[in-house]
Amino acid sequence: MNVIEVENLVKAYTDLALEVVAVDHVNLTVKKGEFTAIVGPSGSGKTTLLNMIGGLDKPTSGTIRVNNKDITQLNSKELINFRLHNIGFIFQSYNLIPVLTAKENVSFIMEMQGENRKTVDERVSEILTAVGLGDRMNSRPNQLSGGQQQRVAVARAMASRPQFIIADEPTANLDSKTTEKLLDLMEELNEKENITFLFSTHDQRVVNKARRIVVLEDGKVVEDNENIKQ
Amino acid sequence: MKDIIKIAWRNLWRNRRRTIITASSIFFAIFFAIVMRSFQIGTYKHMVKISIESYLGYLQIQNPDYFDDPSIDNVFEFTLEMLEEITKTVNVKVAVPRIESFALASTGMLSKGVMLTGISPEKEKEMSNPEQKLVHYAVTDKAIEHLQQKIKPDVIELLKIHNNTSFSSAEKLATALDFQTEDSLILQTVLAQTHVASGYLSENDEGVLISDRLSKYLKVSVGDSIILIGQGYQGSSAAGIYPVRGIVKLPSPELDNKLVYMTLGNINTFLGLSEQVTSIAINIENTDEMYKTETVLKQTFENTKTCVKNWEELSPALKQQIESDSVSGILFLVILYVIIFFGIFGTLLMMISERMREFGIMVAIGMKKFKLVLIVVMEMLFLSLIGIFAGMAASVPVILYGYYFPVKLTGEIKDMMIELGMDPVFPFAWFGDYFYIQGVIVFIMILVACIYPVRTILKLNAIEAIRGK
Ligand SMILES: Nc1ncnc2c1ncn2[C@@H]1O[C@H](COP(=O)(O)OP(=O)(O)OP(=O)(O)O)[C@@H](O)[C@H]1O
Ligand SMILES: [Mg+2]
Repeated sequence: MNVIEVENLVKAYTDLALEVVAVDHVNLTVKKGEFTAIVGPSGSGKTTLLNMIGGLDKPTSGTIRVNNKDITQLNSKELINFRLHNIGFIFQSYNLIPVLTAKENVSFIMEMQGENRKTVDERVSEILTAVGLGDRMNSRPNQLSGGQQQRVAVARAMASRPQFIIADEPTANLDSKTTEKLLDLMEELNEKENITFLFSTHDQRVVNKARRIVVLEDGKVVEDNENIKQ
Repeated sequence: MKDIIKIAWRNLWRNRRRTIITASSIFFAIFFAIVMRSFQIGTYKHMVKISIESYLGYLQIQNPDYFDDPSIDNVFEFTLEMLEEITKTVNVKVAVPRIESFALASTGMLSKGVMLTGISPEKEKEMSNPEQKLVHYAVTDKAIEHLQQKIKPDVIELLKIHNNTSFSSAEKLATALDFQTEDSLILQTVLAQTHVASGYLSENDEGVLISDRLSKYLKVSVGDSIILIGQGYQGSSAAGIYPVRGIVKLPSPELDNKLVYMTLGNINTFLGLSEQVTSIAINIENTDEMYKTETVLKQTFENTKTCVKNWEELSPALKQQIESDSVSGILFLVILYVIIFFGIFGTLLMMISERMREFGIMVAIGMKKFKLVLIVVMEMLFLSLIGIFAGMAASVPVILYGYYFPVKLTGEIKDMMIELGMDPVFPFAWFGDYFYIQGVIVFIMILVACIYPVRTILKLNAIEAIRGK
């Protein structure tokens, strides 16, 4: 079953009369439960592509279907709602609301998603325990390390089991050991909960963990392989 | 909603110092504005009280020509039915007939222009109440000289401080001199020496009451006589000699310099009038409804040869003084509020720019912008309410104190103010609109300042905000 279907996706920027095609006729399908890395040199269009798939940015042309629903037709209000209920996000940094504890950061979004109190409470401790922060649930982000903060972000993204999770360089600010741990965790949760992951990275170790690798260059998909090293 | 309030409240304490500084600036603005307005409004009320309520009257009935030409020729026929008609009117507290005229008062050696006021002694008790203002004790050079040998030097020193001051009762004198009960013997001596045998006018009295300062100028006391020379009705000449029955100390220094009270019958004879008056002075219960009462009275006396004037027309100088003072006070507050506004706005600007990335992430993960707006607005409301309520609370004791213990000027400034015809007493106003309006102004200012963050959030582009653009 295809969760994401991208067809002929183009994003062009005109900067001072100079046209930059950041994403150039990309076709991509992602199946449920895949753990996919988008790689490529800096400026190849990874962020731009992920932003469009995540409904944060509008394409110049082409379509993006999530569960057969064309999200390019949605207006910005509908998109906010769509993101809330279908997509989990993990950003490079500043993921969390600084004044809320780890627990509150996760429960806050679940409550916005309309989950009932009981479900929220159970799921929050389950998922925070799963990311290894069962004992830090009441800590505020500034009391957590960078790696721990990213794990809270993973927990938040996964909390209500979205259609897929988008992570744009989630490990860019972490050291190699922490990176490894975070990736192991993401992989484990991907398998356990069958949640689709789509992330971008520069980091070779991260690439090694992925089961599918999509290589972008100048906005075009130049390679799309199952990871044979694994 | 609970989450929103929680986030807003916690956000408030993210930058504790900035929050405290901003809330303090609101606190001081509110506190200062309330105290200043209470002082101003209280002072105006006091000014109105001493010159309008205790003499002029909030409203007056006059001959229509009297206002432009206050000559004794512009009088009107006075009847008791008229008085009844006025007293019957809603909101009218008291109405008294008067004849006012100018004359020259002379003691032979000294003379001075004075204002003659013919009154009905009984009725006037409810208006300017000269009886209550009678001077019964006066500290004078002569009294001090006599007392010098009899009493302790420290009491003499106190008496010297109060030289040329008049008192309407023994208690007031005792308080001013700081007398304790054990000093009663000395007090009796002082009272005996400073006593003034002031009496009030009887209904058909032939004598006069003269104001305290005027009596000092003319160097007359109770029992002396003064000569009055003036112009009577329709060009007749008026002159007479009148015994002084009493000295009255009027709260308005301006009046205290020139007033002579006599009975209506007496002044009628003096001026050659018959059952005519120059005005009927009216006091009202509720001063906020003055214009309404004025209109009613105007209708009542529509077809008579009289007109109704309010105190603002009768005493435009006082009205103007209050207005210009009030305007300058308000202008000052406007400047204060503009400064505070920019302080609040600066806080908001910093707050917003610091949190753009955070806002971007919140919108990206699916938070409605409306909720984000709510968080920011609520945070500002918390901030302002803390400042507003703290400022209001802090001003309460100051107002209460200033209301019960008015500021009284002393020394040279006091003399200077009296010279200018003003009373050097400044009571604070009781709580009223001015007290709440300051909070409302700041509250509205906050809401206006919030337009900026609201617009910023509504226009926010999540990607740009996250990228830090
Ligand atoms: N808002 C924008 N306006 C103009 N050009 C843009 C904008 N955003 C991205 N680009 C351009 O689009 C291209 C792709 O950028 P993108 O950020 O997607 O690359 P990336 O693969 O994520 O790079 P990196 O690995 O450095 O994050 C770049 O050439 C960039 O300059
Ligand atoms: Mg990028």
